Amino acid sequence: MSDEFQKKVEEAIRDPKNMGEMADADSVGTMGSANCGDMLRVWVKYKEDAGKKIIDKATFQSFGCETAIAAASLAMELIKGKTAEEAMEMSGEELAADLGPLPPTKVHCTSLVENALRDALGGEPKEDCGKNSAPAAEANSNLMDDFTEGSRKESGVKLVFLDEEKD
Amino acid sequence: MTMEINGDSTMAQVLETFPGARRALFRKYHIGGCQSCGFQPTETLDQLCERNGELDVNEVVSEIKAGHDFDKSMEIEPKDLDPAKARVLDVRTREEFDAVRIDGSEFVNQELVQKLMSQAGKDDLLVFCDHTGNQSIDAAAYFVGHGFTNAKFLRGGIDAWAQEVDPKMRRYKLEQA
Repeated sequence: MSDEFQKKVEEAIRDPKNMGEMADADSVGTMGSANCGDMLRVWVKYKEDAGKKIIDKATFQSFGCETAIAAASLAMELIKGKTAEEAMEMSGEELAADLGPLPPTKVHCTSLVENALRDALGGEPKEDCGKNSAPAAEANSNLMDDFTEGSRKESGVKLVFLDEEKD
Repeated sequence: MTMEINGDSTMAQVLETFPGARRALFRKYHIGGCQSCGFQPTETLDQLCERNGELDVNEVVSEIKAGHDFDKSMEIEPKDLDPAKARVLDVRTREEFDAVRIDGSEFVNQELVQKLMSQAGKDDLLVFCDHTGNQSIDAAAYFVGHGFTNAKFLRGGIDAWAQEVDPKMRRYKLEQA
């Protein structure tokens, strides 16, 4: 990884823009599996402007690598003021252009951002996020779910006290 | 106990021997970042290395072992945890947290994570806990990865705490609703 790239990533994550859950979002999109690393969730809020529905604000949360956070931070800024269609026309590379050329192992991160965004904007994922695909990766639970499990309204499990079970 | 893996080991064997292998592989090689670049349990380490730019298997094994040591370094024993001297951060569900908790512990949600990221001291003792210690390690690793040098996870989770420190605390299990 080049020093220049690393420097840009560090600059981007030092003060990430638009990070955090948006309570009044119009839509939300998720991509990835954070159990094994990357997971990105995007919230989008629209507004009407001159008869067009444009993106007023977009925020994200990621428990993935710092490159994904940096790329998402840049992307959320770039899509402001665009329609969903315009935003979905942007490639992962365009969304993270300010980071410069990404090392091959990190190109994956821009796909993650692009596809999470497409999910939030109502589009289909363009393609899988990359290189090195496993023959048929199985579905995993993930770190994001681990972190947010407590804040979910329904966990799908019930708690049974062991002392009650013995009775 | 001999803990050996090699190129012929399946990823299931690798993960069984070194539960933190997934974290180590991602941390070092960015392998396993999402569903499509994850790996199958039946895939061998040789195969994984080959399709990821012909990585040196011995080097990868070393990284996995080092990752295991790294995980161990984040562990704190229940008897060594003084809640008055640490921020105990509970990553379980709200239902579990409401049922039993370590006194003074904080329920972790997205807002608290963001708050910790921006406001907690980099050397603050942050101890993540869950039910049995399997999930909180990821939370600790995440914070260590962001420069929180004293982020730990409670070995065995709150269940170990109930057995080894606070026998009055009610133990529980989770079942599908």
